[in-house]
Amino acid sequence: MGRISRLSPDQVAPEIKALYKQFLAERGNVPNMFRTVAHRPALLTTLLAHFREVMGPGTVPVPLKEMLAVRVSRLNDCDY
Amino acid sequence: MAKQFGVSDEALAGLNDPERFPFPPEEGVALRFADAMTDDPAGVSDELFAELRRHWSEPQIVEIACVIGLFNYFNRFNNALHMEITLTDPEVLLHRVRKAAEEHAGVSELCDRTAEILAQGRRYVLVGIYQRQGEMMVLRAYRGPAPPHSSFRLGEGNAAVAGRTGATPSELAVPVRDPSGIHGVIDVESDRPAGFGEEDRALVEAVAAILAPALAGPAA
Repeated sequence: MGRISRLSPDQVAPEIKALYKQFLAERGNVPNMFRTVAHRPALLTTLLAHFREVMGPGTVPVPLKEMLAVRVSRLNDCDY
Repeated sequence: MAKQFGVSDEALAGLNDPERFPFPPEEGVALRFADAMTDDPAGVSDELFAELRRHWSEPQIVEIACVIGLFNYFNRFNNALHMEITLTDPEVLLHRVRKAAEEHAGVSELCDRTAEILAQGRRYVLVGIYQRQGEMMVLRAYRGPAPPHSSFRLGEGNAAVAGRTGATPSELAVPVRDPSGIHGVIDVESDRPAGFGEEDRALVEAVAAILAPALAGPAA
């Protein structure tokens, strides 16, 4: 069990609900980490904006950025 | 997720041991920087940084360091708070399997798509889909470790398919059937004890029902 509760769509404000919807449409689920951060809506909103900017198209190829993310997560024993 | 962003299976496997996998030099140095920045950030050597500079501009190095920093943030947050892996809602997965059944004429292709949907969506370590041919169950598609046998005799039960991952903490095998009989079996394994709940049983049974018409037909 996660140590902190995760918020379901009916527990969050409308603007967060819209973020949930976007994830559902994009990948079929809302990651548990984001449902946890949703306890602090402003943190979730800015975290997602930063996440998308860092991992989306920029000056470094997206596949390399995905590989770096996988490598770091494996080093940290994080299979999340 | 990485696969859908154009990372090959080989490269993903190579990430377990980047020193041995032939990554191009610019990727190799970025990965070594990721290791150093994760293991001992203050100890990143001048030599490594000079090599990084030979391949990447300053804005690119900033972007690379942001990726590495962001995932260290996420990993620490998730590990310390015991975050559970996110599973995809069964309804969403069933919708995908139904769509695959409508789109794919061939049995093999449908089974392959279905195995992928289940393995990705539920993080099952192994998914095997078998079609009955006479007295044999023949492997049509799988995800996870390659099974040692591609078929087993009906009546041997699932002993022939169980335990393929070595130690098998839990396994779920669901027959694919319709009123005319059994046409196949879906076998899934989890890497944790009691890894399947009621939700998983219902999901795999519903998937079996969707596959039944295709598996009841001739082996393609």
